[in-house]
Amino acid sequence: MDLLQQLSELEQAGILAFQAAQTLDELEAHRVLYLGRKGKLAESMQALPSLSSEEKRVAGPRANEVKATLEGAWEAATGRIQAKHDAEAGEKERIDISLPPLNRHAGHLHLTSQAIEEICGIFSKLGFARSRHPEIDWDYYAFESLNMPKEHPARDEWETFFVDDGSGKVFTGPRGKMVLTPHTSNGQVREMEKGVMPIRMISLGKCYRRQVSARHLPVFHQFEGLMIDEKVSVTELRGVFDFFVKRFFGPETKTRLRPFHFRFTEPSFELDISCTVCKGTGKVKDAKCKLCKAGWLELGGAGMVHPNVLKAGGLDPKKYNGFAFGWGLERTLMMKSGVNLDDIRVLYRNDLRFLSQF
Amino acid sequence: MNILASYSWLKEYCKTDVSPEVFAREISLRAMSVEHIDVLREKFAHLVVGVVVAVKPHPNADKLRVVTINKGGTSVDIVCGGVNVEEGMKVCLAEPGAKVMGHDGKPFDIGVSTIRGVESPGMLCGPAEVGFDALQTHDKYIWDLRMLTDASAGTSLAEALGMDDIIFDLEITTNRPDAKGMIGLAREAGVAVGGDFTWTPPSLPQGKKNLPLRVIIEDKKRCLRQMAVAIKGVKVGPSPWWMQKRLLLAGVRPINNIVDITNYVLLEYAQPLHAFDYAKLEGSEIRVRAAKKGESIMALNGKTYELKNELVLADAQKPLDIAGIMGGEHTGTTETTDTIVFVASAFDPVTIRKTARALNLYSDAQLLFEKGLSTEMPPLALARAVELTLQIAGGEIASEVLDEQVRPCKPAVYSLTPRRIRDRLGVEVSDEQIVDILTRLGFGLEKSGSRYKVTVPYWRDHDIEEEVDLTEEVARMYGYHLMPSVLPVAAPPTTPDDPTLVWEMKIKRALAAEGLTEFFGYSFIDARDLERAGIAPIQAVRVWNPLSEELGYMRPSLIPSFLRDCAANAPHTPTSEVFEISRVHIPREGDLPREELALVCGMYGGEDGEYAYRRVRAMVETVMQTVGIAYRLERASEETGWHPGRTAKILARLGNEEVVVGILGQVSTAYQQAFGLLRPVMMTSLNAELLFARAKERRTYTPVPEYQASVRDISLTIDEATTHADVATILEKGSFVRKVELADIYRGQGVSEGKKSVTYTLTLGAPDHTLTSEEIDATLRGCVEALQVRCGAELR
Repeated sequence: MDLLQQLSELEQAGILAFQAAQTLDELEAHRVLYLGRKGKLAESMQALPSLSSEEKRVAGPRANEVKATLEGAWEAATGRIQAKHDAEAGEKERIDISLPPLNRHAGHLHLTSQAIEEICGIFSKLGFARSRHPEIDWDYYAFESLNMPKEHPARDEWETFFVDDGSGKVFTGPRGKMVLTPHTSNGQVREMEKGVMPIRMISLGKCYRRQVSARHLPVFHQFEGLMIDEKVSVTELRGVFDFFVKRFFGPETKTRLRPFHFRFTEPSFELDISCTVCKGTGKVKDAKCKLCKAGWLELGGAGMVHPNVLKAGGLDPKKYNGFAFGWGLERTLMMKSGVNLDDIRVLYRNDLRFLSQF
Repeated sequence: MNILASYSWLKEYCKTDVSPEVFAREISLRAMSVEHIDVLREKFAHLVVGVVVAVKPHPNADKLRVVTINKGGTSVDIVCGGVNVEEGMKVCLAEPGAKVMGHDGKPFDIGVSTIRGVESPGMLCGPAEVGFDALQTHDKYIWDLRMLTDASAGTSLAEALGMDDIIFDLEITTNRPDAKGMIGLAREAGVAVGGDFTWTPPSLPQGKKNLPLRVIIEDKKRCLRQMAVAIKGVKVGPSPWWMQKRLLLAGVRPINNIVDITNYVLLEYAQPLHAFDYAKLEGSEIRVRAAKKGESIMALNGKTYELKNELVLADAQKPLDIAGIMGGEHTGTTETTDTIVFVASAFDPVTIRKTARALNLYSDAQLLFEKGLSTEMPPLALARAVELTLQIAGGEIASEVLDEQVRPCKPAVYSLTPRRIRDRLGVEVSDEQIVDILTRLGFGLEKSGSRYKVTVPYWRDHDIEEEVDLTEEVARMYGYHLMPSVLPVAAPPTTPDDPTLVWEMKIKRALAAEGLTEFFGYSFIDARDLERAGIAPIQAVRVWNPLSEELGYMRPSLIPSFLRDCAANAPHTPTSEVFEISRVHIPREGDLPREELALVCGMYGGEDGEYAYRRVRAMVETVMQTVGIAYRLERASEETGWHPGRTAKILARLGNEEVVVGILGQVSTAYQQAFGLLRPVMMTSLNAELLFARAKERRTYTPVPEYQASVRDISLTIDEATTHADVATILEKGSFVRKVELADIYRGQGVSEGKKSVTYTLTLGAPDHTLTSEEIDATLRGCVEALQVRCGAELR
């Protein structure tokens, strides 16, 4: 039978052609030639209607069989060529993986802004809200209302800047001299004066002191925490302090309170944390740790708000008490391991080569 | 106020045998912080006593000698430049491994060295090299130990000098001048560390009437107590080594036995004393009075002070002593003094403070007096000084023991409620613990009902001012470190964060995300930088006592420092995009300055004005979109300091009014050059205070289009004078136009002079069907026609 003969030849030739194809294009040409809509198989099939029904019963299935065989051979060839292609791509389409990264032009938040955000975020979890108080203020808020009467020696600890009244004298108003706030504690009485109880405040601002060295800046940042309620105790101050320290410096950090003296708190203490460099051992490779004092770093000052300060803020010390804490942001930043600035002054020189590192 | 406290001295008054480390830890946790511990045996390691056996010339150097030293059994040859080395002298030999003080104040290590060809296994030390500068008489002086020790060769220096001691460097808070003395510190240590406080107050000697002497307090406001006593027949000379040693270890220079006694008592009792030479007094009265106009005094520091009405101690003719601060040079004790007068006083602390500042004269005595000392201390200190004088300088009491007091000391009494202490601390400290702590600190307690009447001891009469101060005494001795850590249990307040601060942080984040780097500067500004940016210094808050002229004003605007900082960066970073948000201060008549948040941002160093302008406009857009405030721009061609053709005012409708909220443009060439910038600065200055106060999170929802959009470009040639806004407004009006974007601007080849070629990308779509190509073509045709008619545009 001519058609069966034809189908077998076609089958053989097609298989050979698919097997011989080297590229996908070549293979496609053969596919069109044998299996295409106007290809050889389709052409042979045109003879089918003219056959007898007996012949049709034999040739029909045979034609389907050839089609399936050819399709199988074509698929196998496709797989073979694709695999070969993939194998060659490793060489042909190779990219130099050591090429430098191609960044989008990236912006940088200042380290201080980053620290402000992080610190306020931690206190926010305990319900402390950010408040804003003047950076230039009256002596009354900076000192007098904080239980520091005029001529009190405690004032010597702050080397204060004053504002000129334009005639070479210190600007003086009804609430005393005008000062650049030497600490953020001026916010304490101002916050109480708002008259909203209870208070959980965090105030972060610029402070000014007449000092400048590798460790001290004339302009620096402090943050002030204030919590006033009907029943607040030292143990809660410890709780808040511990929470902050463990969140900011890591859960393994230890804390301690050490007695100190501030006029506006009673009792007063300094807050220490275990050294972030020597991990509280006081030693780095058998030598004395240079950063800390016997394993402890002094972080800031704190205490229970003095009754005279509560009174100045219009609160009844018999009803309310609370605690306040405050410390330098830059110092806190430097103590957090990772940022090792040997000279704090570099922070505010606005050198882009420094700023773009963070 | 830091002090150096010898452990052995403290142990004389506080019986304890805990290790120095435990002592330091416990006293730090309950009283005063120990900042540093010096173990002298370790500090003086490899320093030994040597005896000079022979002194030979150095073969190669005229000024050096080779000294043979017996160091106990063996001998070594040491090269030495000292001029006073002689046979039989006892010296301090620093052997290899020792650490000594260099002339530059830095410690250095001793090893075996070869000096001009001769090997020297160590060096001979002067006192300064061991750390006692006070004893160094001249550069080439080698410390002669013969008078100081009987120790044989080879003994360690610490042992030979009786200095096997521990020195604590302690920080004493300003409210506790009493604890600056060994007695006060030992009392604290007794409670903090545990140990008996064994000091017994000395008694005043019997007075005699051999020599006439009187004290009179004329100024009863400023002087509260004045005592004096004369001792005749003293022999002035060097103090015994044990006393010199204690002074040296406390950082005080030994002078002579009488001066040393006053310093010793100061260190022990924290009460200043002074000694006069009786022979140099005119008359026999010491008056405590205001200085008279025209009087002056040469103080012990050799400087002469013109006096106005400062408090002085004076004889019949002249001031002898600036009260509480410094004695006079001409009436002090010298080698020839035979009769001395010790004076001990109590003053009003504010007086001492004011005088010290007025005269710019400070001293150890003044530092103590201005903190407030008890009127009960002078008799104790005077008694101790007399005791020591008779013991080490000889002589006998020659006058009455004079004591004038304005009013007797009346101890303060406060009521103490134990429950209040427990509430404040949050700790169940018992009544017994409270009583025990306060009693051991010297307070008198008397129970009355559920309270106590607490009498304040005289040495605490300045720092204990009310009941709450007693809480601190109990709390610290109980131990803060033993108190539990508890998170606040009460409900937190619902007060929100200050909204301006919230917006400040959001804007900072948005600008950084836009690719800008944040500047963060001092608030201070140089007047010259203000002027460079056209701001008269009178418009700024002036600092009365600035650190320097460069830091003389507070910033009224962020523009000057922004330009200054851009200029400083330009040499190494030719172009960059930067921003700053900070408070600025604007002076007000008779009130605190207005303090408001300001924002500047921009780009410096960009050559292409159009590009820079569009970048900065993107920054404005970022800010305004974040704060949710709509704005428009208005050309500003006459703003001082800004480029006349490249500047726009930023206007926004806030409330019922449209107000200027900022400016955007290129800094004028004049200002640019004033700051030394070679290339232009394009920037914006925004009133952040205003924007943040009105800022609002605005989120609106527009349904996502259901039918697909088509994108088409239109390229046109238009006049230079035709603006983007002109074209965009027309395009936006076209039917089916969803979005108009400027894709490109081109000038140059193929475009005639005075014209520009622009390409816009239009996004077209309909809400209810996908546009057919006929609809799209019609839209584009319509747009082009409108542009031709209204702007004279030509299709390219």
